[in-house]
Amino acid sequence: MILQHRSHNDIDIVQLSGRFAMADCAEINLSIQGMINQGHGKLIIDMEKVTFIDSSGCAVLVAAYKSLQLKAGRLVLVTSPAVQSLIELTRLHTIFEILPSQVAALEVLEASVGE
Amino acid sequence: MVTNHQMPPVMLTLQIDSSIACVSPLGEAIQSLCLYATDSLECASQMQLAVVEAINNIVFHAYNNQAGNPITVKWNNQNRQLLIEITDFGDSMEEPPLPTLASFDAENGRGWWIINACVDEYHYKVVACEQQSTGQLPDKHQKNPKKANILTLIKKY
Repeated sequence: MILQHRSHNDIDIVQLSGRFAMADCAEINLSIQGMINQGHGKLIIDMEKVTFIDSSGCAVLVAAYKSLQLKAGRLVLVTSPAVQSLIELTRLHTIFEILPSQVAALEVLEASVGE
Repeated sequence: MVTNHQMPPVMLTLQIDSSIACVSPLGEAIQSLCLYATDSLECASQMQLAVVEAINNIVFHAYNNQAGNPITVKWNNQNRQLLIEITDFGDSMEEPPLPTLASFDAENGRGWWIINACVDEYHYKVVACEQQSTGQLPDKHQKNPKKANILTLIKKY
């Protein structure tokens, strides 16, 4: 699993690629929670290049969602077919905001800057 | 020429250590085997996911996240049915948890829901055994040396 992080207009963007499975989840969770603690409450997790995700990956997403809720922040996900499939299977699509691309996610969050 | 769907019955046995680092390579192997047998990416992906969830549970609950214990996976393809039998020698369950959906804000507890959704049937049993099948690990690592826990996952295609 590869994690890349960048910021754009106070929006944190995490790009994940490869397998989002239990072996890497503790480290990824730590990184994402650190970004949320230090960030401005707007986070994109781009998983377009994630080839596999299990329930521990879902747990990292739920933890990020809850942490941002506490900050009155906003989490936007970009999914691959594998990620979308598991999110729908676990009904988490009913709480997560999911957009089709990182560009679309940035547009939505940039439009809400200052809200 | 024999197409994948006409392949003869095949059984393969894989074994990994109870280390979480071993789960992903096994998952990839299961996905490849299932894809070869079924020509269905959806079916293969679902079987990989079910096996990964089951083995995550074994590593964390049966073996309390301790490496050095065996997990054996028997992969069987017969009569358009994939049958995967996962055996461990860790702490047993009385029975698998009900596959209920965790609340949306729960960070754990989705594994059995996922397994249940990905396969047509699953069965769990605890059987007596004289000695664990590998016989390669020292006795001190055998948490449950006289019992084997067997989870069977079945999916038709």
